[in-house]
Amino acid sequence: MALIYTDGERWSALSDVERQGIYNRYRALAEDAQKAGVMAGGDELGPTRDATTVRVREQETLVTDGPYAELKEALGGYFLFECESTDEALDWAARIPAAEHGAVEVRPVYVDPAEVQL
Amino acid sequence: MKYALLIYGDETAWADFSEEEKAKLRADVMPRWNALFDELGKADPNVGGKELDHGGTGRVVRVVDGERVVTDGPFAETKEVLGGAFFVELPDLDEAIRLAALIPSAETGSIEIRPIAG
Repeated sequence: MALIYTDGERWSALSDVERQGIYNRYRALAEDAQKAGVMAGGDELGPTRDATTVRVREQETLVTDGPYAELKEALGGYFLFECESTDEALDWAARIPAAEHGAVEVRPVYVDPAEVQL
Repeated sequence: MKYALLIYGDETAWADFSEEEKAKLRADVMPRWNALFDELGKADPNVGGKELDHGGTGRVVRVVDGERVVTDGPFAETKEVLGGAFFVELPDLDEAIRLAALIPSAETGSIEIRPIAG
């Protein structure tokens, strides 16, 4: 999973044309990944100002407005790439436009050894 | 509205357990996860979700002046790190909060609810 971290304020400050250009690059990347057979999903998350955080402590549900952590660069979306190796996943992740100004974290999806059918 | 339920947990506590202890803890809490999967499936038959491998397996990619820079993850240096997520279509935020509170990790960590754009 390629987790995309970006600065929401920077994004808001862009013009519509600039934003459109970036969306086009995301679309092109998704199409290339599709063609290569590695595209397994992805989503763009709404802004962190629309986030709600839920915790349960001593059986009580505590709800707060806002994201889990106030970071300059917050999780803004993800791609799911089905790859043979981390290196291959890193190649795809480096093509995500946000890698140029934010950061992309590549993390393997956990597979429970007990659930792997041989 | 489609929501992402982002699961944040403290991995350092988990890392201290032996494989046997982890297996036992997983088995103990499994019925609650299964009950949660039922609830999520009732709310949205197309619910998706992924569990991520622990934060130490992450690699962070940035492209600086056209050059790829890879560092060890996780990206965010927070006590609790993203460990997984559900992606679910729900009528409103209240329902998202109700389901988030049923996630066993809500008792020890935090669940961040984010609307999915588009």
